[in-house]
Amino acid sequence: MEKLRYTPFHERTSALCQPQNWRRWAGYFVVGSYELTIDREYWAIRNAAALIDVTPLMKYMIKGKDAANLLHRVTTRDIHKMSVGQVYYTGWCDDEGKLIDDGTVARMDETTFRLTAAEPNIRWLMMNAVGLDVEISEVSDSVASLSLQGPNSRVVLNRVCESDLDGLKYFRLIKNKLGGVEVTISRTGYTGDLGYEIWMDAKDAIKVWDVLMEAGQDYGITPVGILALDMARVEAGLFMLDVDYTSSGHAWIESQKSSPFELGLDWTVALDKPGYFVGRKALEKEKHEGSAWKMVGIEIDWVGMEQLYAEVGLPPQIPGTAIRASMPILVGNVQVGYASTASWSPLLKKYIALAHLQKPYYELGTDVRMEITVEHQRKHAPAKVVKLPFYEPEWKKK
Amino acid sequence: MKTYDTIIIGAGHNGLVAAAYLAKQGKKVLVLERRDIVGGQVVTESFGDDFTVDSLHAGGTLRPDIVKHLNLASHGLVVDSVRKPFISLQADSNHLVFDVDPAKTVESIKRYSEKDAANWIPFLDFMKKATQFIETANATIMPRLPKGFNLSEGMALAELGLDLRMMGGKDMMRIVRGIPMTADEFVDEWFESDVVKAAIASLGIHGLTLGVYGAGTGYTLMHNWSNRGGLSHVSVQGGIGKITEALASAVKSLGGEIRTGAEVERIQVDMYTCKGVVLKSGEEISAKNIISAADPKHTFLTLVGAMNLPPEFVWNVQSIKMRGSVAKVHLLTDGKHGIPDGTVVVAPSIKYLEQAYDAAKYHQISEKPYLEVTTSGNVVSIHFQFAAYALNSGVQELAPASATASRRTSELWNEKRNLVEKIAIDTLAEYFPNLKSSIVNRKSLTPLDLEQTYGLTEGDLNHGQIMLDQFMFMRPIPGWSNHKTPIDNLYLCGSGVHGGGGVSGTAGRNVMKVLK
Repeated sequence: MEKLRYTPFHERTSALCQPQNWRRWAGYFVVGSYELTIDREYWAIRNAAALIDVTPLMKYMIKGKDAANLLHRVTTRDIHKMSVGQVYYTGWCDDEGKLIDDGTVARMDETTFRLTAAEPNIRWLMMNAVGLDVEISEVSDSVASLSLQGPNSRVVLNRVCESDLDGLKYFRLIKNKLGGVEVTISRTGYTGDLGYEIWMDAKDAIKVWDVLMEAGQDYGITPVGILALDMARVEAGLFMLDVDYTSSGHAWIESQKSSPFELGLDWTVALDKPGYFVGRKALEKEKHEGSAWKMVGIEIDWVGMEQLYAEVGLPPQIPGTAIRASMPILVGNVQVGYASTASWSPLLKKYIALAHLQKPYYELGTDVRMEITVEHQRKHAPAKVVKLPFYEPEWKKK
Repeated sequence: MKTYDTIIIGAGHNGLVAAAYLAKQGKKVLVLERRDIVGGQVVTESFGDDFTVDSLHAGGTLRPDIVKHLNLASHGLVVDSVRKPFISLQADSNHLVFDVDPAKTVESIKRYSEKDAANWIPFLDFMKKATQFIETANATIMPRLPKGFNLSEGMALAELGLDLRMMGGKDMMRIVRGIPMTADEFVDEWFESDVVKAAIASLGIHGLTLGVYGAGTGYTLMHNWSNRGGLSHVSVQGGIGKITEALASAVKSLGGEIRTGAEVERIQVDMYTCKGVVLKSGEEISAKNIISAADPKHTFLTLVGAMNLPPEFVWNVQSIKMRGSVAKVHLLTDGKHGIPDGTVVVAPSIKYLEQAYDAAKYHQISEKPYLEVTTSGNVVSIHFQFAAYALNSGVQELAPASATASRRTSELWNEKRNLVEKIAIDTLAEYFPNLKSSIVNRKSLTPLDLEQTYGLTEGDLNHGQIMLDQFMFMRPIPGWSNHKTPIDNLYLCGSGVHGGGGVSGTAGRNVMKVLK
């Protein structure tokens, strides 16, 4: 029988996980939250340094003369423009231009790349590599990864890294030594804050964890589970596979599929790049004709919420974590879309959601209504389409 | 750089048929042929003094509408009007003869079974109807399932259904049932004698890598019968090459160009539109449309390149089963070979045919092969099944596509060429004792020769096996059954598309219906 696996950090994370709040992520146990409430973990991301075990990410090493050609063909980005040490966020599509998965591509050297993904993609990569001089290997288990996120993350890393990170720009990567251990560090993350991801051999995992925890003690370093991360990523306007979109490989019906344009990834689709890439024809067509859907941010109007709850004599009730559910969105009495994740933003003091709206309702400033349940009754709270991300601190890219 | 309306890759019968139709429409057409002669599989070649043979196919007839539309008679095409008998060799020399005259056939069958003899005429009537159905099906452009089909494709299918219905309920069902059947089951519904059954069933596996117990050989029996118009070959006066010579002459007289010795190295693709071709010589030629009469594997994986194609499409093309297992052995004799005129088969029993095929399953050469033999004066031409293209080296299993595997295939075929010749001659000599002493010269063509000389991937005459999962709307691959390709302005017209397989020209004619 297939069993859930432990990440290489389990010895540390399990000792700290008080509520036994475990979640499943890509076949691994990961901590949902380390404490009974997640507030402290959330605030660590925004105000201090959050240490998150992100080992379950799928990781692939792509090596060889044609490594860049393969990724140029598979992803929507212009990989040939990428310099060594650069990291691209990208989605990849089927040939109908519908998103299969998304992740990051890091150029380790001229002919070596590391691709991360939410789900297994080895067959897709192999299918695309026909006739190419390239070697694809999955390193999900052998490479452990930690995400250190928050405004204090750089200063913590600088205390323990051989070369400091002051010069490392947003979405760049360097080889480094952390507490004497060989690692690569990329300035990436899933929080929309200043943050880094540290990639290491699985056997060095505990050592790196311990060095960071010790170095971060005076800077508020806090082990953080994925529930707090889920709130932060909504604030950052970042979507998640299987929550905010369905991989075209798993969709039962056409309407469950999404294109990168529909998810607001226009900036990642390099239609000006040379040659064929998977989905090109369909994406060109969609670009030309306009997208039927678009993922946007919506802010639910607090006063409107108060009025709906006042009818039953209650103040607005807001869940303590991000809600992953489909919530209908209306204009007038007609449904024009749905929200896929909603969350209270403790920092913005706003109730926000990632929503998928039909043309033309996805334009900024459009007034919509989102379905909420007030004492078991369906109600519709007023909301407005706003720009993503909801939150973007100046230090994110500085 | 020269520019054409249409470039056609390959001057085989299908490529030339398409070229002639286009030239007739006033299009500026260029046919590019890698060999120094036109004809593809439909060639008559000389392998020495007085040693001129129909290299790969002993006979064939283009569809009558093609012959008429292109006025091929005026270009020297004379199809042999006298059909010759089909003879199944028997150890006692009392051969089973399917004569052109059905009454004589009935007499010959009587020796084996009165019942079978009585069924011969009804069987001929049924096969006539089956042939009509296959002809209509082959003339219908298949819808691109499972992508759903538009109204015009639906109409074509509806017409096909209507044709089938018009045959009457009983025959319609019998034809539909016959498609997935084995050739053995198919003939078993009509005949009881093993000798009679085997002779007819052999047509169901001719040119294919399947045995008579293989599902779908009922269909291929009808398919091959339809192409030949019966059991025996229809030979062409002066050699089968006259067909493609006449076509080439028609192309030229209509203003089309044909260049031989002009091998296409690749098809130039800009994003997903083809722009032209690059020849081995480095010369570039552009065209609005390109039609490839080469097999789909070669066209997509070599000429276009996997990098320019969607991954699922590439996966499907890689999965096309080629698996050639036909070899040809041509013998020049002093004339005393003793073999009667006609289409002569070594197919003594159903079991014999299935066991001959077993060799192909295990990547070997049949020790007791199914042979189809034709003669032309002193020349004896033997069609040999089964000699697997991918021979088992006995050393280790290799992925067929790997470079090492293809080198090994070359080495093995250099060793085994003589073995195929020996088995072919020994097998036939059991029936014709004078054969061996009559041989003056010989020329064999292995499946590897079929690939290297005639450009047939894995030596497959049909550009992809005609099997249930590779026929009709699944030919060459599911979703791309209408001659179109993921590359805009690139079309297919060879045997690998629906309508293809055999010397009919149907695929070359059909592509005209979808060209933009």
